Amino acid sequence: MKTFVVLFGSSAAFGAAIAVTYFFVAHQEAAGTALLGIMTAALAFTAGYAVVAERDADLEGDDPNARRDEASGEIVGVFTTSSAYPIVIALIALCTLLGLLFVPLLGGVSLLALVYVLWRMGAESART
Amino acid sequence: MIEWITSTDHKKIGTTYIVATVGFFVLAGISAMLIRAQLAVPENTFLGPHLYNQIFTLHGTAMIFFVIAPFGIGLANFLIPLQIGAPDMAFPRLNAIGVWLFVLGGLTVFAGLASYGGAAAAGWTAYAPLSEIAQGTGAGQDMWLVGLLMASVSTILTAINFLVTVFLMRAPGMTMFRIPIFTWEMLATSVLILMAFPSLAAVFAMLLIDRHLGGHFFDAPYGGNPILYQHLFWFFGHPEVYVMILPYFGIVTEIVATFSRKPVFGYVGLVIAAFAIAGLSLGVWAHHMFTTGAVSNPFFSAVSFLIAVPTGVKFVNWIGTMWKGSIELSTPMLFAIGFMLNFLIGGITGVMVASPPLDYDAHDSYFIVQHFHYTLGGGSMFALFAALFFWFPKIFGICLDERLGKWCFAFTFVGFNVTFVPMAFMGLEGMARRVYTYPPVEHLALLNGIASAGTVVLAIGVVLFFVNVLVSAAKRVPAPANPWGGYSLEWIASSPPPEFNFESIPQIRSRRPAWDA
Repeated sequence: MKTFVVLFGSSAAFGAAIAVTYFFVAHQEAAGTALLGIMTAALAFTAGYAVVAERDADLEGDDPNARRDEASGEIVGVFTTSSAYPIVIALIALCTLLGLLFVPLLGGVSLLALVYVLWRMGAESART
Repeated sequence: MIEWITSTDHKKIGTTYIVATVGFFVLAGISAMLIRAQLAVPENTFLGPHLYNQIFTLHGTAMIFFVIAPFGIGLANFLIPLQIGAPDMAFPRLNAIGVWLFVLGGLTVFAGLASYGGAAAAGWTAYAPLSEIAQGTGAGQDMWLVGLLMASVSTILTAINFLVTVFLMRAPGMTMFRIPIFTWEMLATSVLILMAFPSLAAVFAMLLIDRHLGGHFFDAPYGGNPILYQHLFWFFGHPEVYVMILPYFGIVTEIVATFSRKPVFGYVGLVIAAFAIAGLSLGVWAHHMFTTGAVSNPFFSAVSFLIAVPTGVKFVNWIGTMWKGSIELSTPMLFAIGFMLNFLIGGITGVMVASPPLDYDAHDSYFIVQHFHYTLGGGSMFALFAALFFWFPKIFGICLDERLGKWCFAFTFVGFNVTFVPMAFMGLEGMARRVYTYPPVEHLALLNGIASAGTVVLAIGVVLFFVNVLVSAAKRVPAPANPWGGYSLEWIASSPPPEFNFESIPQIRSRRPAWDA
């Protein structure tokens, strides 16, 4: 995770430098300064979150001499091989967007269906 | 069929991406042929202005959003877990949602052709206020916006998946500085996507609000600002150029090292260059807006020039990798070399138009069309073919015919250059882009005729690829695990790899695990 923090932290520092430079060089132009500012904040938040949430992470992938048996069994995790929810969610998302534009009733119903199917997929994910 | 569409296996999802992008590539290619047929002679009425606008909008949209960028994402879906020694992506369901949002989004955009008023016709940039005229553009423009919103959400979800997978799921010993360059390039691409794509989703949502809910974000008479649209669009749009090129830098690096029989020269330099390009690309968006007079031209010009430095570093690395190598000119390597030659022209013309005085002259002319086709067509598309030839045996378990592959390269390389070199001269003679016809002045008729003839040669090259796939599928020569002598971990797995990729968890001790095995 050290690389992750360095990557996002240095990107945030770079973003901040660009934002400040842009603010002065572009005569306080608002749109660009706001975009660069939001970008910098997002990068800094991601780096900060990694520092707080993953400070105790001990990954076999970070150890150049890690052995195979150190990453076996439950450590690898369980991966589902199939689920019908993803394609259903994509179809309902399409119905929601097109419905909201052309047939608002269909859009509203689809939106409710989308929330329900996402919840069901979350439940499935918790099981497998 | 049901098994395939409900699968959450990263290899099947990656293959679905690749097949879908190739399908969209065919549609984009047909639209390109129609464009060149219309422009082959002056004052042609073959398509007519409104249909021409729809066709060139679909061509640009398909190539950018549904071919070049997602092909890299699809290939990464297939390769990243294999290259880092993981059994799958971190979030398999999220991955599957991404691919289906992408496929349905693309189909929605093209379905606009069947709507009243036809498909979207405001260009791939959909500049406001042109794209806000709801009655003039009809349902096709709305379907275009819906399709691209879905594709942008898909891309964001996939980028999150890539980042989590690479950082948390590497095999024992696969440290960050042992992962292959392609995976590094996808990491940089993912960061870029997370920074840039929300801006696209936001601007398209604002456009939909303007079109349907009486909003006036970009409507100047009501206090809106069309320049704001350009800022938000290009804050996504220029990083998107690098989303379309960084994965291909990775592809070329892998291929050059494999066919030079040498380790990658300057591994760390390539990684730093990838992130330098990604970082700088977030600060150059308004070089597309020099001529608006509403942006700081010196700032954006200076940062645009700077990008040439890390890009040059990559060329040094590729040449260094080939230097004194035992070079084998197989089809993937030929396409990789074609990429380098073409991309160099695209890059140099890019440096030219990074200069505001030159850009004022070239802006919205065919010089720009030539420039971006050399970066994305001659560059990314050639690397796309290189990747297809290189990883086809791994993905599908059968070898492609080398002789047909070389013919495919010859036709595409010659056809591409015959098509796009004349466009630089058209631009210099003042031919504007996005026009459906032109008067018979200067040398425009001759230059356009040559360009259209070149498209036919290019199309023959593309058709040869499909012929190659069909012939090879009929022959079914089984591919060994490592047909090219590649060095990265995916070449240890069988072709095609089994479910969860490896028989046992790989243990990594160097950057070239396949050569260690």
